[in-house]
Amino acid sequence: MAYKILVVDDEAHILHVVSLKLCKAGLDVITAQDGEEGLETFLAEHPDLIITDFQMPRMTGVEFCKEVRRQEQAHHVPVILLTARGFDVDPSEIMAADIAAVLEKPFSPQEVLTRVQQLLPEKPTHVSAEVQP
Amino acid sequence: MARTLGPLLRQPEETVTQSKKLSMVRTALALGGGACLLYAVLVVTKHGTPSVDWTGLLLPPALVGLLVGVLIVLVHRRACRMSVLKIIQQVRQMREHQEVGLVMLAPGDELGEITGPLNEFLTAAKQNVDDVQAENRELRIEARIAEAEKHHTEAIIFSISDAVIVTNRFDELILANEAAEKLLGFKFGHSMRKGFDRICSDGTLVRLIRETRSHAKNFTRRVVEHTMDQKGVSRTFAITLSCVVGQTSEVSGVVAVLHDITHEKEIARMKSDFVSNVSHELKTPLSSIKAYVEMLVDGEADDEAARQEFYEIISTETNRLHRMIENILNISRIESGVLNVVREPLSVTGVVTEALDVALPQAKAKNIEIHQNLAPVYYQVEADHDMIYQAVLNLLSNAIKYTPDGGEVTVSVSLDDRRNVVIFEISDTGMGIPTEDLPHIFDKFYRVQANKKIAKGTGLGLALVKEIIEAVHEGKLSVTSEPGQGSMFSFELPVIE
Repeated sequence: MAYKILVVDDEAHILHVVSLKLCKAGLDVITAQDGEEGLETFLAEHPDLIITDFQMPRMTGVEFCKEVRRQEQAHHVPVILLTARGFDVDPSEIMAADIAAVLEKPFSPQEVLTRVQQLLPEKPTHVSAEVQP
Repeated sequence: MARTLGPLLRQPEETVTQSKKLSMVRTALALGGGACLLYAVLVVTKHGTPSVDWTGLLLPPALVGLLVGVLIVLVHRRACRMSVLKIIQQVRQMREHQEVGLVMLAPGDELGEITGPLNEFLTAAKQNVDDVQAENRELRIEARIAEAEKHHTEAIIFSISDAVIVTNRFDELILANEAAEKLLGFKFGHSMRKGFDRICSDGTLVRLIRETRSHAKNFTRRVVEHTMDQKGVSRTFAITLSCVVGQTSEVSGVVAVLHDITHEKEIARMKSDFVSNVSHELKTPLSSIKAYVEMLVDGEADDEAARQEFYEIISTETNRLHRMIENILNISRIESGVLNVVREPLSVTGVVTEALDVALPQAKAKNIEIHQNLAPVYYQVEADHDMIYQAVLNLLSNAIKYTPDGGEVTVSVSLDDRRNVVIFEISDTGMGIPTEDLPHIFDKFYRVQANKKIAKGTGLGLALVKEIIEAVHEGKLSVTSEPGQGSMFSFELPVIE
């Protein structure tokens, strides 16, 4: 079973291109268009890693991530934050939300993939969850 | 005064005349005295050697001489007394008039001789008095000039819209203008010479003034930014603090000028927000372009269809980027007033027809029917053609964009006779705008979240329409919307009489 990556962005083209790049690298990709949808998907799908945009309607990427941290129990999911205004995001907020990496827009899909591969745990957790009796 | 100086010049001559007179008196007295003495000698001698009787012969002339001498002395004494009285009278007059002049006696006066030194003294004294009076006058003039300058300076200070506070070396208030009174809530008339800490409740300002005075050596002028609470509203001031240094290089006080920069700060913040928003918005299509180009370069497109899809996305996003830049530039030009507005009589109907020509293919592609209800073209408004065209096109594109396939868009231009305005209206059968979004749809970069999934936008189109209609043409732009039913945008412009 492949790793499951959740990509959250309100820009359809970004969702599409990131998903495509990750799928081609053999990863499972699930998408959401905002934080609320992202949270639902996270709870339902238990992804191994989350890539989220910062500037999104209703809930920012950081707020979404904090919500994820509140919800997660068994394991700690690494989060990559995509932002068009990297310097405007408060570093302490990034620390508080425990965000593993921040990538600035415009980003390179290859760079996203590389970061994802670096941050993924040894084994896909949802796989291990499934194999547990 | 000057006229009394004339006789002084003749003084030596008169003194000589008076000296002669005195010597005559002396001669007369000597003659009389001598005659008496001779008589006395002869009387004594007669008792000793009574050979010749000189006494009988000399007695009458001796007596006459003595009498004359005594008479002369009496007359002289009286003359002297008269002269002294004259001098006293003149001195009294001088005192009465408070004006030092010269003592004048008739030519040949008995005391003429003493008027010389007396007048010399008086002249010197008069010179002194004149000098002092001249100095006094100068000082009075200087004082009046200083007073006038003080009033002038105060008038300048009072006319300044910035709050000006002047304190002395004891940190007591010595001057404050109306702006300062309003800002700190005191009356200068009641607060003069009061300790500034008793007048001002803002501890920071009190401290700044005290520090400026006591650390004068380190800074004679400095500007401090400070936020103060004014009637419950927070306002930011640039406070310029300067030391008033006296002639002895000692600090005699502090001048504080409080310039309200709240508005400037707000503008700076808005500008920064705008730049931040612009860069964010521009980076979004740029990210897509960069990502898809990289995918193509890396050969991530599996087949021709995928490649075609990538090319199309890149093309769409490039157009979006271009539109954004155009809109940003237009808004920025309108807001800064750089954009050249060419007002000319034009027909709104004509402009709407032009925009319809451009928008119709877009509507056809979505199978949207456009109803037109356009008033005759002879109603004209005075407006910039290109701008009104842009505004109409933006509204038309939005209506088509947010109306589902097979929907309807109605465009109308009508005349309100009573108010003398041309009204442009555009309504659609789209999804409408949620009530909570309505107040914000004309804000820059604001996008209705629910509509984001339906169509791409810059968040600048409606902001530009608002700028064009309201800021440039002083018209009125309005919107009504029923979620799920559709929206109606309208603007009105005054008709040329």
